[in-house]
Parts: sequence; structure tokens; C-alpha cells
Amino acid sequence: MKKKINGRTLLLFWLVLSVLFLTAVCIGGSFLDETARVTDFSRKNISPCIQYPFGTDWLGRDMFARTIRGLSISILIGVCAASVSAVAAFLLGVVSATMGKMADGIVTWLIDLVMGIPHMLLLILICVASGRGLKGVILGVALTHWTSLTRLIRGEVLQLKEQNYVKIAYKLGKGRWYVAMKHMAPQLFPQFVVGLVLLFPHAILHESGITFLGFGLSNEQPAIGIILSEAMKYLVTGKWWLALFPGIMLVLTVICFYTMGDSLRKLIDPASAHQ
Amino acid sequence: MKKTWITLLAAGLMAASLMGTGLSAQAEENAKNEVIVTMPTTSEPEAGFDPAYGWGAGEHVHEPLIQSTLTITNSDLSIGMDLATEYSASEDGLTWTVKIRDDVKFTDGEPLTAEDVAFTYNNCRDNSSVNDFSMLKEAVAVDDTTVEFHMTKAFSIWPYTMAIVGIVPEHAYDENYGQHPIGSGRYIMKQWDRGQQVIFEANPDYYGEAPKMQKVTVLFMEEDAALAAAQAGQVDVAHTAASYSDLTIDGYNLLSVATVDNRGINLPAVPAADVDGVTVGNDFTGDVAVRRAINIGIDRDEMIQNVLNGYGTPAYSVCDKLPWYNADAEVAYDFDAAVKLLEDAGWAEGADGIREKDGVRAAFTLLYPSSDSVRQALAEDTKNQLAQLGIEVTTEGVGWDTAYTRAESEPLVWGWGAHSPMEVYNIYHTMKDTGLAEYSPYANETVDQYMDEALESSDLEESYELWKKAQWDGENGIIQEGEIPWIWLCNIDHLYFVRDGLQIAEQKIHPHGHGWSIVNNVDQWSWE
Repeated sequence: MKKKINGRTLLLFWLVLSVLFLTAVCIGGSFLDETARVTDFSRKNISPCIQYPFGTDWLGRDMFARTIRGLSISILIGVCAASVSAVAAFLLGVVSATMGKMADGIVTWLIDLVMGIPHMLLLILICVASGRGLKGVILGVALTHWTSLTRLIRGEVLQLKEQNYVKIAYKLGKGRWYVAMKHMAPQLFPQFVVGLVLLFPHAILHESGITFLGFGLSNEQPAIGIILSEAMKYLVTGKWWLALFPGIMLVLTVICFYTMGDSLRKLIDPASAHQ
Repeated sequence: MKKTWITLLAAGLMAASLMGTGLSAQAEENAKNEVIVTMPTTSEPEAGFDPAYGWGAGEHVHEPLIQSTLTITNSDLSIGMDLATEYSASEDGLTWTVKIRDDVKFTDGEPLTAEDVAFTYNNCRDNSSVNDFSMLKEAVAVDDTTVEFHMTKAFSIWPYTMAIVGIVPEHAYDENYGQHPIGSGRYIMKQWDRGQQVIFEANPDYYGEAPKMQKVTVLFMEEDAALAAAQAGQVDVAHTAASYSDLTIDGYNLLSVATVDNRGINLPAVPAADVDGVTVGNDFTGDVAVRRAINIGIDRDEMIQNVLNGYGTPAYSVCDKLPWYNADAEVAYDFDAAVKLLEDAGWAEGADGIREKDGVRAAFTLLYPSSDSVRQALAEDTKNQLAQLGIEVTTEGVGWDTAYTRAESEPLVWGWGAHSPMEVYNIYHTMKDTGLAEYSPYANETVDQYMDEALESSDLEESYELWKKAQWDGENGIIQEGEIPWIWLCNIDHLYFVRDGLQIAEQKIHPHGHGWSIVNNVDQWSWE
């Protein structure tokens, strides 16, 4: 009898693979910081070879080191920004759903306000206003990504409020905060974790986007957005490797985060746990 | 399935090649007396073709084409005549008298008189947002062909200013002049599609030699787009960068034009101090031995090979090859002497290979404008070369919003080069309110004095000697043996892909700015 691979095992496999890939990029990146900045004009414009798997650019920088370092910076920014966003989303979501009409109104208004402004525009505004650079990008991404998760959690809490066990808890005289933390939070946790993980790819793409447009990190840094915008100028001269490999790596990273989020959701969401 | 793909691909290729031949055939038909030139998007005059708002007389100087100027600069940068028939300065240098031709008409048929000249200059003085006209008190038309400039202070290099200010018609000048310029120059502006192109047509009533090129189209685009346009055969002259210079395009040759478009770094020449919340000066570069060591410790030829693919010349001053350049500024690369200078001054190597003296580390941040990849490469190469001297350089890309302030305490990669000695003054002369030079802190009374004398001189040719002395008089100056507050790295050749058969007339040495300089003499270009 042919043994069928369990769906859960498969999911677990993808999850572990994604996590491994991302950890490898992060750790590799932190070691490659120096290498990524070295310029050496004796080795400029080399196409991919064994020594330089991603080739080198017009300053003779090793594109492999630059790409990995760039991604690790992106992931770092993603972690910072997504964590801040997620915490804000959780608090606001719970506040909005449990603290009465007034609080809910304010939070919903805030969400609409932030969502009403085009995402990239708000990001650029915040980033430039807070002095660009790493600080600007983290602030910008953190302050613009909490809305959708907040909305999700608020909706979830509103639903939970109608559940019998929550109503009973209120009737038994438990306070709002107690119910929110003891009875609601555990229910919200899977949603929250998945939402958090799914924020990463957004954060990373927005970080590269804003840097690509020239409003983010300054261009001596090995950031993925910078690599891509510089590559644009040299594509026309046939230096395809400058954009291709970093682009593929960026897509891979984003896919990994999605796989991670998706696998996590299926594994810990009660509704799909038995599939 | 596969077959359909191949068919589709073949059809696509055929269509593309047909389009290509169609376009180049069209271009060839027009080619007899028309020319299409590309320029960087930054060359498009934002405020239009009005000399008061930077057209010709702006940051990047060039001949205004549409308007006539009083004088011109010849290819050796001596002064020639355009509208002026003669000019002279009074003994004290405070009055310039210029006689102009009486046979010149604007393209609307009205004659050009001294009134128009006076109006143009007074208007520039009141409104110029880009150039400094504060030395002009008033321009007065004495009669129809004589104009007098009354100056607030002696300004011997006034003829260089007269070479870039286009004369506008008083009767047809209003706030929209920049969009619809009327002049008396070689060309008439026919059409301006903002953000795309400007079309010039030859002025049929031009008083000088009739232009050979009847129509000049200028397209504004980035270097990569210009390259693509040349590859598609759509333009006749495409500006390009050193990083594209190893490409060959069928039907085009690479033209390299010598320039004073120099790149250099400022080394703040005073110790760091806090002035109104801004750090001015730098403890490391404040030591003159350090500046001298850097000047001879940089191999400029290697840098030009590395960064510019060889399309450049070593620079030793802000005005190389110009009549007021002092050749004493030239230095030879000498690594050992540079090390010795540092050692003698007490900069000893520390444990990590970086030099130190009295707790000051031999290190600085080298800034560059983040939008400029050539300056970034120059900064990186400087960093690598100075590392061998035991100096630690960190590079950082900055925007112009913060660059000027930060350059007061940290070196920045600058680009300069103009057809006027005034630039030497702007860079090295002290300002009244701070007692230091404007862009990088430095002060020397003797240098100041030579430049003041040069401006007060009544004879332009004689004043060149004073400008040279300001650079080095045997004891004081801004060169290696002097205080060397700026290190000049290279002059960047301006590169163009030029269609075979197009004769670009002899170019005078190009100033800073890769734009309008090339078409200074477009009227003399011709097709074989």
C-alpha cells in the first residue's frame, strides 16, 4: 500500500523550509555586511560566475553579498514594522470592540483616515517627514500597516461578543477587561499570528518600493530597492544579472512569508485543523 | 501550441524591424538641414527661456541661441563680440560703456536698441533668481546704440557676464516671456512641449552668418532613454555617460568633448566648531598636512580609468585649461610622499591600521549627491585609495536639501566648472558675515586680496595674472604648497553618440552641465 503523505506533514514541511530559508538569509546577511559594501574597480561588471554567483555591478560590488544583505535589512525592517503594527492592531481592535460606542467610533475613524490616503503616499510622507533613512522607513511602514489587521480583529471581537459564553461571563459579573483578556484573546490568537506573518511581505515590498523611488534608505546601503533601481540604468546595456537575481530573491522571500502565514493558518486555525 | 508561439514571435519581430527601418528612413530624409539632439531632463529650463530666470545665465552657462548677447566667449575663452561693437571700462572700473550694432531686429520686426539692453540688465538685476547681479547698480541707455552700466563695485570680469545674458525686447516682455520668447538670436523657438521637447527654427533675418541647420529639435530624456533612442535611430546626437561608453551603436560614433566639468571634494580647513547649531570645520581635515597628503595620495589617472572608462582628464583646480588657471596647481601622484607627510605631522598608524593623532582618528564621512552615480563611484574610489594611506572614509549619499549644510564640516563630492573666473571667487573668497568661504570653511587674507584686486582691475587680460596669483603667488594660495582647501579629482569628458555624417563644429571647452553646451554652435553643424 502506497503511503499517502499527510497534508499536515506537508504543510509542516513547507513551514520549516520557509523558516529555514528566511533564517539563512537573515544570518547570512548579518555576516555579509562588510562584504556587501566593498567596492573594487578591478572586478566591475562581471557576469555571474562561480566566484560571484550573482555577478558584480559597475562599482565592482559583489551582488550576491549585496542581495543577501539587502534582504536581511528588509526582513529586519519587516519584523520591526510588522510587530509594531500587529501590537497596535491588537490593542486597537480589542479597545474598539469592548470599550463602547465612543471608542469604537474613534478607532473606526482612525482606520478610515489612514486607509483613505493612498498607501504609498502616506508611507513616503511619514518617511520623509521623519528624516528618511532606516528610522524613517521603519516608522513609515509601522504606522501605515496596522489598519487591515485592526479591522479584522475588531470584526472578530464583535462576533465573539455575541457568543453565549461571553454573554454568560458578563452576566456572572466579570469585567470588560477580564473578559477581553481571558475569554476573547485566546480565540483571537490564531488570527493575530497569521495576520502578523502576512504583514511581513507587505512591509518588505513597501520598504523596497519606497527605497526604489528614492525616499527610503540612502543609496550606499545594500537595500533591495536600491539594487533594483540602480539595475534599471544598466539593463539597457545588457547587464541582466543586476536585476534578475535580486528580483528573484525578493519574490522568493515574499513567497516564503506567504507560505509561512498560510501554513500557520491551516495548522492552528480550528476550522481547518482536521483537513 | 508551440508553433503558434513561434509564428507570433516572428510576426512581432517583423513588425518591430519594419518600424525600425521606417523611423530611420524618416530620419534620413529630414537629415539634410535638421538635427535632433537629446539632453538630460534637468537641462529643461523650468522657468522658460528667460535670462532673468536662468536661461543661459543660470547654474549651467551657455549661449542663449534665441537671444543675442552683447559679447561671446571664443573657443579659447577670450572675449569676442556679438551685439557689441566695442566696450570699455572707466579707470575706476565703476562704469562700463558698450556700443552696440544698429542693424539688429527682433524676430517680431522691431529694432533692438540700447533701451532693450538696459531693460534686460535692470530686469535681471531685480529678478534674477539664479545668478548674482548685485554688482550692477543700473544700466542706462545713453542713446540708441550706447549703453552704460553703472556698477556698485569694480567688476573686471563683466564681459563674461555680458556673454551669457540674452537681450530681451522691452516692448514684448511680460511674465509669460519665458514661454514665448522673442529674441534676435540665430534661432526662433517654434514649439515647446514641456517635459518632452523644444523645437527651434533658424531665424531668417539673422544679422550674422545664416545658420546652416534650419531646424533643431531638443529632446529631454535620461541617459538610458537617450541610448535607447540612439539604438532605434531616432536621434542624431544622444548624450551619454561613461558607463555606456563601451557600447557601439551601428551608424553612430562616440564623441568625447573636453570640459572643465570638474569633480572635487572640499576639505574643511578649520577645526570643528559649533556656529549657530551647525558644525563648521573638521578636526582631521583641518590639518594642512592631511590635505596635502590627500592631494598627492590620490592617483587621479587610476580613478579616471576606474570610474570614467578613461573619458576624463585629471583636475588640479576648479578652472583647469582656462586663461586664468595657474599651472602650479598640478601635482604628481606620490604615495610615499603622502605617507611621509602624514607621519611627519604625527598621524601614526593605530592598532587597526587607521592613523591617529592626539585622540583624533584619521577618518571622515565623504558625502555625495545620491542621485549621481558618477559621483558615487568617485567617492567609493577615493575611499579605497585613502584606505591605503591609513585614512578611514565612510561614504554616504545625501540629498541637496542637507548637503550644503553638512559640507561645512564633512567633505562632499562637488561638480563645478564655468566660463568665468567668478567661480574661483565663489569657492575661495571669504564672505563678509562669517569670515569664511561659502561652501567649505577656509579663509586667507592674501588670497582674498588678490581676487579683490582682480575684480577691481581695469584690464581683463591683466586681471588673469591676479586670478593666477590668488591660486599661488609663491607663498600663499590654494594649491599643494599652499593651504589646499579643495582637492580636485577629474574633469569629466562630455560624451555623445553622434550619427555618422554629422559634423559637429569645433566645441569650446564645456563648462559644468551636460546639456546646452553642445548646441552652442549648432548653427555651424552640417551633414556630409
